Amino acid sequence: MKVTVKSWTGVATWRWIANDDNCGICRMPFDSCCPDCKLPGDDCPLVWGACSHCFHIHCIVKWLHSQPQQQCPMCRQDWKFNNK
Amino acid sequence: MSKKEDLEVYWNKINYAFPILNGTLYSDCTNEEYEEIQEMIVSLGIQIRIRDLILIHIEKYLRQHVVPSFWSKFIKSDVEVKGFQLFKTAVSDLYESVTNFSGILHKLTLLNNSCSDNMPIFGEKDVLLGFKQLLRATLLAQLPLEFQYIIYFFYKVSFNVFDNEYENSDMGDDVMCSGCWNDYSDCNCAYIVKVFHDTNRKLMELQLLERLAGQVLTNFIQMRIESHIQKLCTGTFDVSHIAFLENWLDTTVMSWLTRIYCAGSSKPPPDDKNVQNAISKFKQKLSYYLYHSYTKLRIDQLFNIIIEYPDSQPAVDDIKLCLDKTDLRPTLCKNLQTALETRLLHPGVNTSEILTAYVSTIRTLRHLDPSGVILETVTKPVRNYLRNREDTVRSVVSSLTEDGAGSELAEELAKFAGEGDDENDKEDLWDEWNPDPVDADPKVNSGDRKASDIISMLVNVYGSKELFVNEYRTLLADRLLAQSVINTEKEIRYLELLKLRFGESQLHFCEVMLKDVSDSKRINALIHQDNNFEASNDKITCNGMILSAQFWPPFKDESLELPVIIKQLLENYTKSFEALKGNRTLSWIPHLGNVNIEIEIGVKKLELTVSPFNATLIMHFQDKPEWSLDELHQVMKVPVTILRRKITYWQSMGLITEKSTDYFVLVDGSDANKSNVSTNQVQEMICEDEEAESVMASAHDQREGELQVFWSYIVGMLTNLDSLPLDRIHQMLKMFASQAPGTECSLQELRQFLDTKVRTHQLVLQGGMYKLPKT
Repeated sequence: MKVTVKSWTGVATWRWIANDDNCGICRMPFDSCCPDCKLPGDDCPLVWGACSHCFHIHCIVKWLHSQPQQQCPMCRQDWKFNNK
Repeated sequence: MSKKEDLEVYWNKINYAFPILNGTLYSDCTNEEYEEIQEMIVSLGIQIRIRDLILIHIEKYLRQHVVPSFWSKFIKSDVEVKGFQLFKTAVSDLYESVTNFSGILHKLTLLNNSCSDNMPIFGEKDVLLGFKQLLRATLLAQLPLEFQYIIYFFYKVSFNVFDNEYENSDMGDDVMCSGCWNDYSDCNCAYIVKVFHDTNRKLMELQLLERLAGQVLTNFIQMRIESHIQKLCTGTFDVSHIAFLENWLDTTVMSWLTRIYCAGSSKPPPDDKNVQNAISKFKQKLSYYLYHSYTKLRIDQLFNIIIEYPDSQPAVDDIKLCLDKTDLRPTLCKNLQTALETRLLHPGVNTSEILTAYVSTIRTLRHLDPSGVILETVTKPVRNYLRNREDTVRSVVSSLTEDGAGSELAEELAKFAGEGDDENDKEDLWDEWNPDPVDADPKVNSGDRKASDIISMLVNVYGSKELFVNEYRTLLADRLLAQSVINTEKEIRYLELLKLRFGESQLHFCEVMLKDVSDSKRINALIHQDNNFEASNDKITCNGMILSAQFWPPFKDESLELPVIIKQLLENYTKSFEALKGNRTLSWIPHLGNVNIEIEIGVKKLELTVSPFNATLIMHFQDKPEWSLDELHQVMKVPVTILRRKITYWQSMGLITEKSTDYFVLVDGSDANKSNVSTNQVQEMICEDEEAESVMASAHDQREGELQVFWSYIVGMLTNLDSLPLDRIHQMLKMFASQAPGTECSLQELRQFLDTKVRTHQLVLQGGMYKLPKT
């Protein structure tokens, strides 16, 4: 007997490679989206700061807009986007 | 002449004029003679006394002679024709003896006129009327127990003749006359009709018809009506019968009745108010009875009518019409409820069938009673029952979204989308307002009752939208994962329809799920363009279905170790994905998906689409033709029980046999064809089984997951307080842990949850107290 696999459709779930599960600002899981968004993933991506903390991009942008100083809400270091 | 002799002469003369005083009716007294005698009586001034004396004697005569001879003919008999004759003789004899009184009555009238006291005679002013009254009173005072028998026979025989006259003309070949059951040669229908009218006329004249025959007549006609309805209306619901029945009552029954009352003529005499009144009263009574029995019959059939709705709409219209005329509403509710309970609400009926019947019931009763009160009362047990069935929600949701058979709900959903809000129309209808029926529950707003449509009635079985939406999500997930080619457009259409009803936010998750599916297609295309990935595998097309885990219902937790090449394949895919989407990775769910494989056995080629599990299994057999269950368990990391269950798929395909217990061998070559044929049926059965199984965690498991929230609270409690009874735990949970939505927890549920914990040795139950086990 010879078995040939012609095509294999597998099921997978995607997740962000991050050092935490939840966004520190909105407390939603990273794999979900921020409260303002409807669709996760491409439409509501994560960003990493130089301090290695990460957030939903919409969350951190909103945070930075509302603050006089540009600081990471977790560690109070100056916020810089880390384009890794 | 002495005074005594005078008296004797007077008395003889009086006796001569009124022989009734001696107990006979016949006298030779002429009118002139009587006038003389009356003058004498008046001159003596004893006219009142004499009159009263004569009345007493008449009464005595009636009591002792006329009435007993009348009743003596009422003998219980089994032969209809004999009863007919007896009654006829009785009536004509009575009539004759009453006629014999006419002489005396005439004289008495004259005598009474000479009395100036204006005393009523037996309650009547007139002597004749008084006499009739007396006769009736005396007759009825001696009423025998079984007098109705022969009266019944009498009317039965004659009604038969009438029925025959009206209804059948095509029975010509029959030897028997169906009217009188005699040969045609000596059919005596005509005689019967004559006697019948004659008797009725006499009874009418004596004013005895109603009292003697009324009851029998009513019973008899009611029976006829009932049997007629029964004959006419069994089994068919697609024709309205009520007009036809009314017509039948008007023509056949009423003309017969009129003939009884009017001695043979089919029209009531225009001047006789009494007869007209009697007939119209009778007619009212009979039409009520007609409606009543018709409605009753229909109510008994209502369950079937409901099942056949809307084909049975004429029958429903009939009931609607009749309900207004009768007082059968409560009967209807009760009977229908019982019918539903006995025929629908038991374990032998599929949930989908119950739902179909429920929807039908809603539609029918909506039509029957627009206020919705009957509906509410009747369907209460159905709702309660459905609430207890586990697969109700699933059935509702699947019938909401499927085409073809049982798609009534799908239509309903689409209809809802078509309807705009008609708030404005309602304002114009204020003058058509009707109060609620008396049996309505005053606590419920009548607007609510009317407004709720079929789908919301179904949703309301559970009282919450969330359960429905969750179930829909599970169902959608199953469908999306099961199909290799997904008709996304159709799903999106349904989703939009559902959104209209349940609101955007509730179905947000489903939207993401559908987007995942279409995104996966794009990602697949992109990854296939990736040269690195394509280079690493040339033979196998690898597709991925990439899901946003947060938005999908939890998957069943199953382990499966895939073959090495497949694992390699998937890893490559993951790498490509990581390259495509920065900072994101994939975790595979090995047991989900589907695999297209081609199996070559000898000359035969099989092309199959199977689950990853089955593919893995057969691939192992390719490497090594003989496996014990234990070895498979070690290679595939799947529990033995599941292995044993699932390997039947390949057994049924005839590719693998169980050589000895838990030891499986590959079947090769020519044997395969043989066994393949014989086990075709098994295969079908098992494949179906496979399909029916959901890959999602069941609602029960999901609920269990929700309850886990409480576990930390419970552990905390028991650590501090050592041991607690069930209701204390429940109370404390209520106090501390029930703020979050969806975490209400009944005592029952908590007990079940704690029991599972006891079973897994995370808790100890001792004398009704829960404790943490000592470590």
